[in-house]
Amino acid sequence: MTVTLASLSQQTGLAVLDHLEQSVSIPVVDGLQAQGDLIVIPLPVVASSVRPWSDAGWTDVPPEGVELLRGAAGGNPHTLVADPDTCRWTTDVSDSDGLAIGVFETSAVAYLLHPEHGATGCTPGAYVVRRQREREGHRARLVAD
Amino acid sequence: MRREAAEIREEWLGRALSTLPADRPAAEAAISGLYRLIGLAPPRFHWVSSPVAALTTVPPGMRPQPPEAADRISERALPPRFSSLMRELCRELDDQVRWVHQPMDQLIRREVRGSLSRSTTGSLLIPLRAAHDSGHRPRDAWYGTQCVSWVAHYDALRRVAGVVFTPEQTRRFELWATAARSCGSWWPHEGVCVLSERPVAMHTEVCGDDGEVRLHRADGPAVRYADGWDVYAWHGTRVPSWVITDPSVPRIAEEANVEVRRCAIEHIGWASYIDQAGLRLVASAPDPGNPGSELRLFDMREETRVLLAVNGSVERDGRRRQYGLTVPGSLDDPIAAAGWTYGLSAEQYSLLLRRT
Repeated sequence: MTVTLASLSQQTGLAVLDHLEQSVSIPVVDGLQAQGDLIVIPLPVVASSVRPWSDAGWTDVPPEGVELLRGAAGGNPHTLVADPDTCRWTTDVSDSDGLAIGVFETSAVAYLLHPEHGATGCTPGAYVVRRQREREGHRARLVAD
Repeated sequence: MRREAAEIREEWLGRALSTLPADRPAAEAAISGLYRLIGLAPPRFHWVSSPVAALTTVPPGMRPQPPEAADRISERALPPRFSSLMRELCRELDDQVRWVHQPMDQLIRREVRGSLSRSTTGSLLIPLRAAHDSGHRPRDAWYGTQCVSWVAHYDALRRVAGVVFTPEQTRRFELWATAARSCGSWWPHEGVCVLSERPVAMHTEVCGDDGEVRLHRADGPAVRYADGWDVYAWHGTRVPSWVITDPSVPRIAEEANVEVRRCAIEHIGWASYIDQAGLRLVASAPDPGNPGSELRLFDMREETRVLLAVNGSVERDGRRRQYGLTVPGSLDDPIAAAGWTYGLSAEQYSLLLRRT
C-alpha cells in the first residue's frame, strides 16, 4: 500500500495542515534528514558521540505513533510512526553534545510526521534523533519552532 | 480518570489566570482562618490594585521599614510560618493516600500539579518577580505556597482518586483552596494583611504537553492591572515594553540582555532584521537537502554570527519561512554553521538528503 500523508494521518489520528499535499506517496530516505528543528541521523554517522545505554529501556512504537518532541506554543508534535512490531524507541541515550532525544531501530520503513512539515520516511536501520541548538551569549539554547 | 484530572487542572488554571475582581469577603474569611491556625487574631485587610502597589505602599497603621529590614526574613515574618503550616497539611494529606491510590497520585502529581506549577511560573510569577524589581528581593517560596498547583493536586485526589480526608483536614484545606480561588497574591504581616486584586487582563499561549501556558502578547502588555501597572512578555520571557511596541535595530544594539535581544529580533523577523541592520554577509552556500534554498551566514556582534535558513516546507500562503539561528562567531562556513546547530561537522551535515 502506498503511504501518503492522508493514510498516516488516518492511522495515527493526527491532523495535518490541509495545504500540504495529502495524496502523493511520502519519499523514503536512506540517510540524514531534517524536519524543522529535529534531525534524524543514521547511528553510524555519530556513533563516536551517541550511544544508547547498555540497560536502555526500549518501547515498541505503536501504530498511532510516539510523540518525539512538541513544538513551542503547545504546538505541533513530531511523531514517529511505524507498523506494529517493526520499530522500537528509547530515550535512554548518552550524547556528548547533549542534543539527542532518543534512538530508534526499525526493521521496516518508519515515518516522521508533523502537522506543518508533513512526513518523511526512513529506511530500515538505527537512527539518532537530535534537537537543534543556537548560541545565546556564551550558552546554547534549544530551538523550538 | 485521566480526563477528570485534566478537567480539574483546567478549573484551577482558570482560577489562577482569572481576571475577575477578587471575592473579598471569601478571601478575608479564609485568610482569617489561616491566621487563627498559626495562633494569631484575624488581621485588618488592606486591598491594593496590583502586586507592585502591594510591595511599594505601606498600609495605614504600619511603620515604614527600611528596605533591608523588609527583606530580612526575621522570626516574626509570617510567610515562613504560613508555608510551614501548608507543608504540614500536605504531609497529613499525603498520609491519606493508600497504595491503591498511588498510580493516580503519580499521574495527578505529574499532569496536574507539575503542569500548574509550570504554568504559574510562566505566567503569574512573571509580574510578581517584576514587582520585586523595585528594590525588593523576590521570595518565590512564598508564591509557591500560594500556588494553585498543590491545592489542585489534593482537590483532584479527593474528587478523582477517591482519597478520603478527615473533616478537620478538609476544613483546613478549604481555607487554602478558598484563598487560592478568591484573590490575587497576599502578603501577611502581624495585624495587617496586604492583598492584591487580580490583573484585569492576562494573555497567555499554550506551551506544553500537559496544558501548560505562558505569558505572550505580540501587540500590547501581556498582563495589566487596574492601576495601569503592566508587564510585557514574549513567549514566556519578560521583556521591556519597546520589544513589543517599537522593536528597532538601534534599540536592539543597545540592549545588554541577549534573551531580550532575541525576543525583539524575533518580533521584527530575522530576515527583516538582517536587512534593516545591514549585517555583513560572510558566506552563503546551497542548503543540502533543501533544493533551491540557500544558507546565508552573517556577522552579528562580537563572537556571534547568524545563519539565515529557509524552511523545508511551505506555509499556507505558499511561501517558505526564513528563520535565523545564532551560532558561534568562529564559524566561517554556512554548512559548518548549520551542522553545529545539530552537533554535526560540515562533512556530516553535507550528507543531509532531505529537509521538510
